[in-house]
Amino acid sequence: MPQTLVQLRTELKKGNRSSFYAKLSKELDQLNRKYHVLLERTEPSHTGSGPLAGIPVSVKDCLCVKDVPSAAGSEILKGYIPPFDATAVTKVKNAGGVIIGKTAQDEFGFGSFSVNTNIVPKNPHDPTRSCGGSSGGAAALTAALSVPHLALAESTGGSIACPASFCGVVGMTPTYGLVSRYGLIDYANSLDKIGVITKSVADAELGLSVIRGYDPRDQTSLDKKIPPVPKRIVLGVPKEYFETVDSAVAAAVWDTIKKLEAAGIPYKKVSLTATKYALAAYYIIATAEASTNLAKYCGMRYGQAAPLEQREMNEYFSAVRSTYFSSEAKRRIMLGTFARMAGFRDKYFLQAQKVRTLVIQDFKKVFKNVSVLVTPTMPVIAPTFAEIEQMSPVQHYAMDVLTVGPNLAGLPHLSVPCGTVKNMPVGIQIIGDHLTEATVFSLGKCV
Amino acid sequence: MTVIIGLETHVQLPTKSKIFCGCKNIVTFEKEPEPNTVTCETCIGLPGAKPQVNSQVIEFGTRIALALECKINNTFSFSRKTYFYPDMGKNFQITQHTIPLGSHGKLLVDGKLIRITRVHVEEDPARLVHIGGVGGSHVLVDYNRSGTPLVEIVTEPDMTSPEQARAYLATLTQVLQYLGVYDPSTKAVLKSDANISLKGGARVEIKNITGEKEVFEALRFEMMRQKNLSKQGKRTIQETRLWNPELSVTQELRTKETEEDYGYIPEGDLTPITLEQRIILKEKQQLPELPAQKYKRYQRDYKVAPKLAEALLADPQLAVLFEAASKKIDSKLAATWIAGPLKKTLNWNNRRLEQTDITVASFVSVLKLFNSRKLTDRNAEMLIRYLVAEGGQPETLIKKHQLTGSGTDLDKVIKTVIKNNPKAARDVTNGVAKALNFLIGMVMKETKGTVDANTVRKALEKALR
Ligand SMILES: [Zn+2]
Repeated sequence: MPQTLVQLRTELKKGNRSSFYAKLSKELDQLNRKYHVLLERTEPSHTGSGPLAGIPVSVKDCLCVKDVPSAAGSEILKGYIPPFDATAVTKVKNAGGVIIGKTAQDEFGFGSFSVNTNIVPKNPHDPTRSCGGSSGGAAALTAALSVPHLALAESTGGSIACPASFCGVVGMTPTYGLVSRYGLIDYANSLDKIGVITKSVADAELGLSVIRGYDPRDQTSLDKKIPPVPKRIVLGVPKEYFETVDSAVAAAVWDTIKKLEAAGIPYKKVSLTATKYALAAYYIIATAEASTNLAKYCGMRYGQAAPLEQREMNEYFSAVRSTYFSSEAKRRIMLGTFARMAGFRDKYFLQAQKVRTLVIQDFKKVFKNVSVLVTPTMPVIAPTFAEIEQMSPVQHYAMDVLTVGPNLAGLPHLSVPCGTVKNMPVGIQIIGDHLTEATVFSLGKCV
Repeated sequence: MTVIIGLETHVQLPTKSKIFCGCKNIVTFEKEPEPNTVTCETCIGLPGAKPQVNSQVIEFGTRIALALECKINNTFSFSRKTYFYPDMGKNFQITQHTIPLGSHGKLLVDGKLIRITRVHVEEDPARLVHIGGVGGSHVLVDYNRSGTPLVEIVTEPDMTSPEQARAYLATLTQVLQYLGVYDPSTKAVLKSDANISLKGGARVEIKNITGEKEVFEALRFEMMRQKNLSKQGKRTIQETRLWNPELSVTQELRTKETEEDYGYIPEGDLTPITLEQRIILKEKQQLPELPAQKYKRYQRDYKVAPKLAEALLADPQLAVLFEAASKKIDSKLAATWIAGPLKKTLNWNNRRLEQTDITVASFVSVLKLFNSRKLTDRNAEMLIRYLVAEGGQPETLIKKHQLTGSGTDLDKVIKTVIKNNPKAARDVTNGVAKALNFLIGMVMKETKGTVDANTVRKALEKALR
């Protein structure tokens, strides 16, 4: 059996792609029945060539795929068929990748468990547990498939790292701007990053190398080179990133850090003092931006519509929006709208922007002394659906406490499996300075 | 009671493409395109589409800001202005809020400095077509206009009368024309919102006023309304009113309590723009001579009277003709004929100079014929009318319309008339007024009315002196 995307590509070069895809199709049927990972299946065209020649690639529902329903896991956009491909999808297609379908997610990325949606994906390690979110379907599919696979995913506040950690796979969120966001159904434009979920670090590296690059259609995309890996790597272990963590999870991460030390990679204890404000700042900025992004869904041009009765336009828009947005979407629209209103903007939105700057400075200071930071990815193992039901929205938001920092700062971060607790996977998070993807990957391979 | 007025003027810019996408800008179209045929994912606002800033819009905006003596902000940014309306693809407008392109400018209007608060660029929304009129059965949306670049020019409340506001708008419009960013003969729309209050009173905003005349009328109406309220002992409330040009009144739109909160946040899809100093410098050097500078120069260098200079400047094409003609012929003569008969004829025919066959050479040749008395006053004017209305070359038109009441002919006719009427000629020399009128009549008859009476009188008096 091939272990990596490169091995699979080599095998598919020799063998018969049609029979591989016939077999894969059956496996996907089976997995989908069990774990609800795919929202849409596509008829794969698998004749392309390039670095991903013949490789099966799934796409998170929030990324537009031409002629394939793309709704970002939402009800309001259900059935929306984009007339164009997202840039990342175009790059995958041009590299010979085979799009197999759209993966399940929290509506518009609003959540950490992929439960804020109609089709809830399940964790292949234990279907009574969540596979994390919001890129839950992407991680669950990668974990459950018998063959290597590339999942295009997206993170705003931790939506790649979280499900990768819960499902025991690798999740890479690159530097903000490294991958074009053109064709991404926006959650929060200043935070959204397209990344990959794979079975191995090498696969993530290959996947990212295909989708990254400057795109004139996304003015925030970067036209920068990634520096080589430094000769000596020193890890930083920020104490604030262990404070709210389950002790068994923390122990698994510490075990890994000690193993790395034994292998000749030393660590230093460091402190990131702005961490405690990051979560609140993140939710204010993300919801403020989201509330403007979601304004366009009003039943006028695409997506769901309400009956056209003799009504005033505001009533019509309200009818569509109140019917088809979930309660979580409504909560975030209201929070976000409040935070940017004239009387509150200074106190909330602008204050959050200042905190964001502090968080970035905090990281930059630490990176003068260490090469990368290592932390647990999630404070717990994947919770059961029953546990999730007992959580308040605030407890729910607190799940992102370890991932919002690098997301707010736009830093590359990689979640790699590093052991198990109660037979469930635990992930270690490797955070690098801007554009140090090569370093982050090289350490990831050592885990 | 002092009136305080400020204006916000929006102008559609004639760039090649729209402000945030590659679609063509319909302002530059000769013919109105079919609805929703000049659109793309970005200007419709499809999920996943993103804006890209059109550099020509920044260029035009910078030019305007510099001409209005604004400070160009080192780094300026874009914001989202959120409100729900069917003409907005995204239900937010991308505009400039926190840091505009230019700020702290000024414009000299009839000797008074009007301070310019800010100059910024933004996108125009789609066009709404009300089927069955406003309040009719339904509304259709045409996204062809969505994403048309707009520049917004905001003044401080520095104007103190509706007349002054009209003069400001006239001056501003002229500047924009000279900058090549606005042409009133195209479909480009120039619209203003006005703020008006009586000193110490609440401020009223009037929306949707097109043109100088309307700005004047809307403000005059609103000023009277507020003064009347004050006379009745009532207070003006802070509100937004709409100008209704059909009824010539302002109407209540919304009061402060229902005033919209646009919830501005930065546009996360567009990074702030930093203009290099050398680009600003280059734009500055390339600024054309503006009307105010020309006005001074025409008086100083060409000795043109203020009124004439103003009339020439009102139409940039006439100013160009004047400056070129002045190199070949007396500038005062050129000014009189361009600002007078030519301008009048163009207006009468509803034409612009560039739509006629008139060139600098042909116009100068007409003036030369007149100057050497080969054309009479009247014939020269007739010739200009034919040049505008029919087109063609002066020589052909002179022949075609027999505009031959030339100086040599007139002298000849006068000689003959004097010879044939020796008594009347003597009487004229002896001061009999009736005799002169008789001779004028005779000459007019001979020249079949091609020469005007005044010219004949002068020529006769000269011949008999
Ligand atoms: Zn367009």
